[in-house]
Amino acid sequence: MSPATAPPTRDGCRVTAGSVAVAVIAVIAWEIASHLSFVIPEPLDTFLALGRDLGDPRFLAGLRETLLAALAAFVLAMLIGGPAGLGLGLSRRARVVFSPIITMLNGIPKIVLYPVLLPVFHLGYGSKIVMGLLFGLFPVLINTAAGVREIPDVYWRLARSLRATRWQTLTRILLPAIRGPLLTGVRLAVSLSLVGVVLSEFFATERGLGRIVLSAYSSGDYAGMVSTILLLIAISFALSLFLWRLERRVR
Amino acid sequence: MNVRAPDTPGARRPSVSRAPRRPWSGLAGAPAAVVLMVLAGVVAEVGAAAAWWAPDVLPAPSDLLPAAARIAGSPRFWQDALRTGAELLLSCVFGVVAGLGLGVAFWKAPGAGRVFEPYLVSFYAVPLVLFYPIAIVLIGINQWSVVVLASIMTAIPMTLNTWTGLRAIPPVYLRLAASIGCSRSQTLFRVALPAAAPYVVAGLRLGVAYALIGTVAMEFTTAQAGLGYQVRYLYESFDAVGMYAYILVIVAVSVLLTAVLEIAERLLPRGRDT
Amino acid sequence: MSSPGTGVVLDDVRVEFRSSGRDGPVVAVDGITQEIPAGGFVSVVGPSGCGKSTLLSVIAGLRAATSGSVRINGRTVTGPDRDVGVMFQEDSVLPWKNVTDNVRFPLQIARVPRAGRPRLGPGHRPGRAAARRRIAQRAQEAIDLVGLGGFERRYPAELSGGMRQRVALARTLAMRPSVLLMDEPFAALDQQTRLLLGAEVRRIWGETHQTVLFVTHDISEAILLSQQVWVMSYRPGTILDVVDVDLPADRDASVVSTPRFNALHNRIWERLRTEAMRGFAQENRFPA
Repeated sequence: MSPATAPPTRDGCRVTAGSVAVAVIAVIAWEIASHLSFVIPEPLDTFLALGRDLGDPRFLAGLRETLLAALAAFVLAMLIGGPAGLGLGLSRRARVVFSPIITMLNGIPKIVLYPVLLPVFHLGYGSKIVMGLLFGLFPVLINTAAGVREIPDVYWRLARSLRATRWQTLTRILLPAIRGPLLTGVRLAVSLSLVGVVLSEFFATERGLGRIVLSAYSSGDYAGMVSTILLLIAISFALSLFLWRLERRVR
Repeated sequence: MNVRAPDTPGARRPSVSRAPRRPWSGLAGAPAAVVLMVLAGVVAEVGAAAAWWAPDVLPAPSDLLPAAARIAGSPRFWQDALRTGAELLLSCVFGVVAGLGLGVAFWKAPGAGRVFEPYLVSFYAVPLVLFYPIAIVLIGINQWSVVVLASIMTAIPMTLNTWTGLRAIPPVYLRLAASIGCSRSQTLFRVALPAAAPYVVAGLRLGVAYALIGTVAMEFTTAQAGLGYQVRYLYESFDAVGMYAYILVIVAVSVLLTAVLEIAERLLPRGRDT
Repeated sequence: MSSPGTGVVLDDVRVEFRSSGRDGPVVAVDGITQEIPAGGFVSVVGPSGCGKSTLLSVIAGLRAATSGSVRINGRTVTGPDRDVGVMFQEDSVLPWKNVTDNVRFPLQIARVPRAGRPRLGPGHRPGRAAARRRIAQRAQEAIDLVGLGGFERRYPAELSGGMRQRVALARTLAMRPSVLLMDEPFAALDQQTRLLLGAEVRRIWGETHQTVLFVTHDISEAILLSQQVWVMSYRPGTILDVVDVDLPADRDASVVSTPRFNALHNRIWERLRTEAMRGFAQENRFPA
């Protein structure tokens, strides 16, 4: 009954229309609210501010820096979290030793470690990439490990009865079997890497959208601030929506 | 700052099964965690003593612990801790109540649930922090802008987990409830919600964790008080030892909270009948 | 023990489902007019998908008939009734309650007056403690009746599937319903457990003399347990044959080797075979 394998149903279209309607209502509410309070920029002004910013090379450089840092953080999170999650899922001993500490680390508000990173990785790309990595690492790791652990035992017996090599077992059985949880991890890692980078930029950085948001805030350019935040949210929203749909399709 | 597969919509299996419970089984590795932490402390101590790095990069634990103890005795610390604690508590209460209500509402009206689902999934907990600058413009730099966003952060996993848990109830439970003449509220409170309890409790654990992460992250960005604010303040006044002490306290609090929630999750699901 | 107007009376019951396909509504059950005398034990057999569970849901008041009516002890069924106990095929034992609490659960629900309507006259409010004691006693009786004594504090996860269905049976019996509706209650169990539990049901029925409707797809089980077997057709479900089981009342499983049992079995199987094949062909979209 996977919704996406079937051709889009009427019902599915109606739900999408409903979701779009929610967004439209939110914009209308925003428009009304902007007339009630002077600190709320009008939606139109905000979109114009975005247009103005997108023509500004300094803004574009900031956008580029933030997205590049988030991309690097995400790729590192996948490269470290994926294999580590596999190991954790496959080895009972590794689980016993490491899972409490991973759970603990996962619960820490990692952003407070940013001042610790700054002297080591410096104010440029280094620190925020590491912070984005810290944000994005755990969902990949934990979801991969959980996915591996939930593989039905009969799959392993199947692999053995077919005399599959280790590589075949990995690529033909293990990875396809965990594609759902893996995609969940990827989806969370994408938006969390971005959030980690932007939060770092809120704190201290030289360039990036987070800094642009804060300087717009301090100079009272609320339209510019809101439009930049919405741009970030839109990027994260679009990516996670795409991955979420993909996730439902493979399930 | 994230999620285990079972808690996200889709993977839908609570990490606790109803089969024989062993609340401590997952904690078998706790000694290993302690050993690793002690090891990290020793490395930090030796490194600082041998001057492998400058003292303001990472102060020696032997300097840090007395500083942490001194800070823990100061009224300023308790003001900040109280502020963060109050924000956290309020966010959890609001978020849990709203999440339970929405989860039940979406279960009763699945159409509405599916309409809002993409937003809930995409804003799953943390990206909401990005709205904080907007919140401080609207509400001001005070505890309420933190509480509002942290409440939503708590409510989202709570909603999704409650809803998922209710959808996963074996249909026969509802037929049973009908056949023995349960009223609507009896069906909800005595059959449906207890049946969904493992998911609801998992949502609670996530929600509380997000509330803490969100609260500290927002205080850290801009605030007038709170533990997260102190880290920033001390960073900006170049008080490395004080800053590390606060970071240590925050880490300790979050580790404690995580442990309590983990244990609670293992103990609660079986529940008892009144 | 039977008097006119008591027991279960089905009058031209028809149930339609709205189908998503283009063929219009699916008729699950059609034109069923039958009667179970009070204290009678009737089994319904039929191929999968013949609507026997649907028929049971209608009698239980869990689903409304499209037309026709069901009367139980002279009252027309409009919804679930506490005088009618239902036992389901699926595991319906609540995992967060131990055996005793599961069995007590419907009694606790029944004790609380629904929608503020007192069940007893004003002024007559038995103390909570007394009510609790009565519930405890009734639950214990039901637990002992199904042979679960000693397992009161166990949780469902610690019990086998057969034991869990015993809990479900005890829970149904604790209500002391005058009508017992059983929807393939032992279908998910292994053959030996099913035989044992069937014998238990028959023993308990011998003690309580409830009116029983037992849905099953197992012909032997139907003959072994009941006084009468209704044979249902594949969709639309109608009653093809009503077979009176003229075997000794104190029969046990050894009766399966008697010629009379075989004759009954063959008669029912002859009726069912074509239906089962028709159902198989339709469900799998083979040309019939």
